[in-house]
Amino acid sequence: MKLALRELQRRPGRFVVATVILTLIAILLMFLGGLLDGLVAGSTGALRAQRADYIVYSSTSRNSLVRSRITPEIRGQVESVTGADATGGLGSVQLGARVPGHGPRDLVPVVLFGYELAPRGLPASPPGPGQAYADRVLESQGVHVGTVMELGPARSKITVVGFVSDTEYLGQATLWGSVSTWRSVQDDNRPGERAAAGVVQALVVRGGPPRSPTAAGIDAATGGATTTLTISQAINALPGVSQQQTVFDEIIGVTVVIAIVVVALFFALITIERTALYGVLKALGASSGTLFWGVLLQALIVTLIASAIGIVASLVFAAVIPPGSIPFVATPTRLLSSVGYLLLAAVIGCAFSLRRVLKIDPAAAIGGGQ
Amino acid sequence: MFLALREIGRAKARFGLLTAAIALLVFLILTQQALQTGLITSFVGAIRQQSAPVLVYSVDGERTLQGSVITPGLEAGVKQVPSVAATADIGQGTFTASINGRSQSDAALIGYTDPKLGAPSTLSAGRLPTAPGEAVGSAGDFSIGDHVRVLGPRSATELTVVGLAPDAQIQVTPTLFVAWPDYVAAVRTANPDATTVLPNVLGVEPAAGVTPSAAAEQINAALPQADALTRSQAAADTPGVSAVQDSFNVIFLLFALVVPLVTGLFFLIITLQKSRSLTLLRAIGAPGGVLVRALLIQVLCILGGGIIIGTLLFAPLSQIKVGALSLRFDVTGVLTWAGLLLVLGVVSAFAAIQRVLRIDPVEATTGEGGR
Repeated sequence: MKLALRELQRRPGRFVVATVILTLIAILLMFLGGLLDGLVAGSTGALRAQRADYIVYSSTSRNSLVRSRITPEIRGQVESVTGADATGGLGSVQLGARVPGHGPRDLVPVVLFGYELAPRGLPASPPGPGQAYADRVLESQGVHVGTVMELGPARSKITVVGFVSDTEYLGQATLWGSVSTWRSVQDDNRPGERAAAGVVQALVVRGGPPRSPTAAGIDAATGGATTTLTISQAINALPGVSQQQTVFDEIIGVTVVIAIVVVALFFALITIERTALYGVLKALGASSGTLFWGVLLQALIVTLIASAIGIVASLVFAAVIPPGSIPFVATPTRLLSSVGYLLLAAVIGCAFSLRRVLKIDPAAAIGGGQ
Repeated sequence: MFLALREIGRAKARFGLLTAAIALLVFLILTQQALQTGLITSFVGAIRQQSAPVLVYSVDGERTLQGSVITPGLEAGVKQVPSVAATADIGQGTFTASINGRSQSDAALIGYTDPKLGAPSTLSAGRLPTAPGEAVGSAGDFSIGDHVRVLGPRSATELTVVGLAPDAQIQVTPTLFVAWPDYVAAVRTANPDATTVLPNVLGVEPAAGVTPSAAAEQINAALPQADALTRSQAAADTPGVSAVQDSFNVIFLLFALVVPLVTGLFFLIITLQKSRSLTLLRAIGAPGGVLVRALLIQVLCILGGGIIIGTLLFAPLSQIKVGALSLRFDVTGVLTWAGLLLVLGVVSAFAAIQRVLRIDPVEATTGEGGR
């Protein structure tokens, strides 16, 4: 062990190239993970913020908020199962917003939500007509409390009365107002998507005593006119979310395999280079285990250095990218799991050298092999 | 040559591991390249495929087809711009549909009032719609004769596929091009509360002698609410396209760095290990050039082998569909990456070549050649 550490201290140059390659792989792994987390967070915030158990869509909507229509009759059927106080309407409309101080062609894409049951971070009663809470990402666009934004071609005026965090939806910032505000803004700007009085896009349902509705129970009560999903199912049903996750997870998996190959290659070569030295050490009494642990320790240290540089690079990258450009977030969970994957790759990669270390014959050191 | 190949033959595990690493990297690069191309084509293919040379969005639409709404006032304003010869309405929406009675799926509909300004410009099979209820579908998603029902809460709109257009998806969704009345019927089916169905964009034919980009500039100068773009600009500027390109480019850059670094490191270590033998070879008269040539042959063999295996691994994958996304074996892309990685790999062997050229044959007599 001491020998391995001493070699790292005295001949660091020998490990520089492997460290550089592993650092690149660490950055790649953390960048891919951060990109995935950023994409998912930016798409799903509005649903994750719902303090509810279920979202009820119309059955022909394919779980798409904009395609879903819940009429007052269907709502009544749902409330017969869930209770009126545990059910809230939800509506959304995507529009371009004119923000004071921006140029006439410099619009900010937003999604205006109308809510009845307050999501996380919002007051129980929705704000008054023409008012909304804004997602904090809009602060970077110069939006503050009191800002009057003009939405869509009809220039519907919305006054910002406060902020809420982590509620982005499909990569866009959100505004949260009452259902009546949503309906009037949608009707004015998108007559093709008009919602009649009492119609909402979806229902948000909170379970719990005295009633504990099930998704199947709600859909049965509406005679199959609805599709009820848990919040996590609704998140996975968002366009692109599960596909993004699958593709990125596969790419991350192959990158880990490459890390294994790089570690295996590098330490196998180092082991070959040291064969004679290991023969001498074995002749002096060192066990194969001791020698292999030395190789493993070196691999783990090189990997930890590469991981540390990767973490710093990821944090710097997350800090310098302007809001709204590349959707990248560096979360502790993602960074630590990437380090875990790399350490695992180092251990597996080193295992390829184990056979060579075991095969070394100490007799060769005193000419036994000749 | 003989020595170089013999060495590869005798150290199969060592060279095989490197070849496997390069093959994996090439496979990953080509897969991601195909994903990037497929994603962008599926995202904006319909915009590239439609026939209008200029598309006018509302500024509020932020260059998304479905997000833009053309008010009657804006449409009248565009018609009055001198560089505009003709305009036509284009609408786009995503609907829930059932194809040939199968379970529900997504379908994007693009409706146009004039086939010259909005219909697909090329068909891979069939014809454009000539009667109500006919549609052109995106090739790969539909077949001629397919029966599509656009579903709504109370009724359905029936469509029959009579033509196929290649690379004609929008928003990574199977896409149908239909005449305007069928599009309006589908919107009203999906939302019975819909009042007026406004177009999302206008297709514009520039006046004689006016280029599409000049027409777009003049429309934008005349109407602050209009955002006129040429067909290619509209595809490239669709939100998300440049973000996808930027993200993939960063990944490509990192992979392109890893390949030469791994190759360079490998051959440098190999050269260091062989330095005694190389010194001996130099001492018995082998010129430095011969040894460098042998090294380069090994580099090319390993890189070539890795690239070929990586490409062979990628070939079957390129024929599959990932959801609604079609991958493709792009020969130009494969050759470009192969050339680039070969050049980078050879350049990366520079440190090993330098090491070979620095070998002094005299060291064979002093025993320093191995150090």
